[in-house]
Order: sequence, then C-alpha cells, then structure tokens
Amino acid sequence: MGSEADDRGLVAKTLAGDRAAFGELVERYAAQARRVARAVLGDPDDADDAAQDGFLSALVKLAQYDARRPFGPWLMRIVANAATDRRRRRSVRRAEPLDPALVGGGPRPDAAAVQSELGDRLRAALAELPERRRTAVVLFDVEGYSHAEIAGMLGVPEGTVRSEVFHGRRRLRALLADWKEQVK
Amino acid sequence: MNDSQMFDHRPDPELGAALRAALEPRQESAFVARVMAGYDEALRRATVPTWDVLASWFRPGVAAAAAALLAGFLIGRTVLFAGAGGGAAAVSMDAAIASAAVGGPGRGVAALVTAPSPPDPSIVFTSLVEQR
Repeated sequence: MGSEADDRGLVAKTLAGDRAAFGELVERYAAQARRVARAVLGDPDDADDAAQDGFLSALVKLAQYDARRPFGPWLMRIVANAATDRRRRRSVRRAEPLDPALVGGGPRPDAAAVQSELGDRLRAALAELPERRRTAVVLFDVEGYSHAEIAGMLGVPEGTVRSEVFHGRRRLRALLADWKEQVK
Repeated sequence: MNDSQMFDHRPDPELGAALRAALEPRQESAFVARVMAGYDEALRRATVPTWDVLASWFRPGVAAAAAALLAGFLIGRTVLFAGAGGGAAAVSMDAAIASAAVGGPGRGVAALVTAPSPPDPSIVFTSLVEQR
C-alpha cells in the first residue's frame, strides 16, 4: 500500500478527472476493502458488491475528503457503511445456517485441508460475532488501524472499539488455540 | 493470551495472519476492472440527478406557486370586502353595556347583566321584544 502522500496525490489527480489515478487508488485498497466488506457480510459475492459500491460512492464524494487526514480510514468508513447498508437490504437472502462442525470440534482434517478448514472455522466464528465486533477485530488485527481510527470509521467511542476488539479476540483466540491443539 | 494481552493496543500478528488468510479475496484484477467499469456511470449519476430533480420539481413547483397565489388573492379579496362593505362592525360587550347605560339600544341586556338580584321576567321579555 502506498504512502499517505501518494494517496493525496492520487486523490488530487482523480478530482482533476484523471481516471487512471482513481484506478490506482482502487488497486491499492481493493484487497482491504473486500476483506472489510466480507467481515461485515460474510458472503464473498455480496462483499465484492459492497466494496464496489463503496469505491464508487467514495469517487462521488471525493471532494468531501479532507486531505489533511489519511485516506484509508475515510475510504474504509464508506466501504463499511456500504456493506452495512447491503446487509440491511439483504432481508430476503438470509445467511446459511452455520455448520456446528466448523465452529468447534469436528473430525480432524487431513494435512492438505488444514489451512482451508482453519479459514472455514474462522469465517464461521466471525459470522457468529456481532457485526460491529467482527468489523472492529478485522480492522484492528488484519488491517492494522488504531482504535481511534476504527472509532472514527464505525462512529462509536474509542472505548467501545477496545471492548469490541477484546471480546472478538477472546472468541477467535480460543478457536485458534483449539485448532493448534488439534493439528499438533 | 491472557485478558490484559487481549486489551493490547497492538495488533495480534498470529490472529491477524489467520484472519487475513481466511478473508483473502481472489481475482483482484477482475474486481478492479469491475469497479472501473462503473466509473463513468457513477460520475454521470452524481451530476445528472441535479437537473433531473430540478426538472421533476419544476411542474409541481409552478402548480403549487399558482395555487398559493390564487388562494392568497381570494383570501385577500374576502378580507378587503368584509372590511369595506361588510356593514356593521362587531361591537364589544363593554361597548354594548356602555351604550345601554346611557339609554341606548340594548339597555335590557345591560340591566340583565348588572342586576344584583335574579332577573325580572318582564325585563327579559322587554329585551327580547327590543331585539326585534
């Protein structure tokens, strides 16, 4: 990911009508935006739709971006909001019920499927967490944002973010520890 | 990891890496192309609606303004005519009593209101006759 100065330059060029500059911003933040959207929505296709909505919404609102602040948190706030909006609209398509074997216990996997199944279990465990909690954990532990930045993105006090990260981590760490025990 | 470590202000690299792998998207170039395909449409939608909204507001706005103008004209005309040619203006109770006290019309009403004892039926009758 590029520096904040690079981001500001790309934003300025985009505002001047440079399409390629916006494309570069999308490339820089695509993976992060898709992960954050997936943390909110679970389903990867819905997450990509939401991430796309977020990028295009950011493009339209780009004149409102304060260049004195880092671009990433501003963009992730828009993406997280787009994902939350999509989840609210998704009233007909409900999430598939979780497979209990994925969340805890279950047969020991063969070596080839270890990473894949760990991913399945983590995604299932994430899906069990409240939306704000899983988003906070992903933004903190995966994307490396500070508590204060996440508080700004989610529109909640910093203490709430600390609490959400704490409780989310506790659940996920327990799952990870169980997993390590099983694959020993 | 104990509870105090869970409140750590630093990201947990092990958990972060596992989550990153679990959430890692695929086909990034296809996604970027998909976003860029919506570039022109997003900008068009951001600018065109202003005119669309103005256009959609134009006719109802003109109709509402015309209706308001007509209503204002009718109300104003009614008020003007009532003030100028409406005949006798309303008289307050004080004015009616004052005129009754000096022997003007309506003295029966004044007597009825100011009497310390219950009204005499003849006074009431007289006031009714005077109304006619």
